[in-house]
Amino acid sequence: MACFSRVRRNREMDDEINMVPIMNMFMVLIPFLLMSASFFHIKAINTSVPVLAEGSQEDHAEKQISVTVVVKLRIDGINTSSLSNDLSKKELADLEGDFSFDAGNEKAYAAFSEHLMKVKKRYPKSDTLIIIPAEDIIYDTIIQTMDVARKTDEDTLFPNVVLSASLG
Amino acid sequence: MALGSMRQKRKTFTPPRLMITSLMDMFTIILIFLLFSFSDNPETITLDANLDLPRSEAKLDHEECIRLVFTRDSLKLEDEVIATVQEGHIVGLDPKNLKNSELYKKLRKIYEDSTTNAAPSMNIEEAVAEDDTAATRDLNIPDKKKPLLFLCDKQHTFKSINQVIKTAGMAGFPNFQFAVLKK
Repeated sequence: MACFSRVRRNREMDDEINMVPIMNMFMVLIPFLLMSASFFHIKAINTSVPVLAEGSQEDHAEKQISVTVVVKLRIDGINTSSLSNDLSKKELADLEGDFSFDAGNEKAYAAFSEHLMKVKKRYPKSDTLIIIPAEDIIYDTIIQTMDVARKTDEDTLFPNVVLSASLG
Repeated sequence: MALGSMRQKRKTFTPPRLMITSLMDMFTIILIFLLFSFSDNPETITLDANLDLPRSEAKLDHEECIRLVFTRDSLKLEDEVIATVQEGHIVGLDPKNLKNSELYKKLRKIYEDSTTNAAPSMNIEEAVAEDDTAATRDLNIPDKKKPLLFLCDKQHTFKSINQVIKTAGMAGFPNFQFAVLKK
């Protein structure tokens, strides 16, 4: 009887999965993954301070109108205007916009994004946007504005963002 | 009597077995977590405790560059503290005379070291001396230069930031990469 029980016990022990190789694999994988783990992801936004372009860009055979959007960032809202050598004052005035933060930042940014999409659709060659923040605007707000100005969910709007101080 | 009982004990001895089920569970959870945070390009930048970067939808990876870190209490170039910050004001950075600042001198040195082989197309010092605001406009700066990676606390005002980026622009670094955390 005792002999039978020993045989049964041995068979039971043989049926168990040998976990040692799996544990070994884990012990190798975990240090490797720990070394290559990234617990925060730093990304970058390209920007620049204003510089004077050297060459003239008016020599292109097919001349497409482009505008430079100027965004004045105030504590109470966003004001946009546009600059272009190819458009009249009236046409440029049509591209102006003012978006107040009174109704909430989300709404203002949504309207601002829509306005930029309209400008981009009308003048698709435009790619430069100048942000002029007021002195008391915090960095976080500037980055948010840059995000909206650079692209929407689907389209790229103004990838060249220049940060400038107000001269006035 | 004693020998007999020992022999009996040896016969009945079974090797101890570790209960590794819970250990396996733990390892599996750790493995899954680490697989999710796996990155083929792990960050080499350590963030200062006094630095809270803004979050952005930017997807661009930062390049190998010169790090300019503007925390709540200091301004650092790479790991060297250049100036201290008191209530948002950078000590030793006079807005009316930016080129006398430590930041300008250090950045100029880096700029000159990086462009020793390239012939300068214009005398930058002259342009700077002429007008601070115009200084950054008229410089012919080579593009193949390391950009500045600007790590700035999200609560700093544009007034302080402008002093830093203006100084950097005057020193020959008009192009920046603003470091942000991925949303």
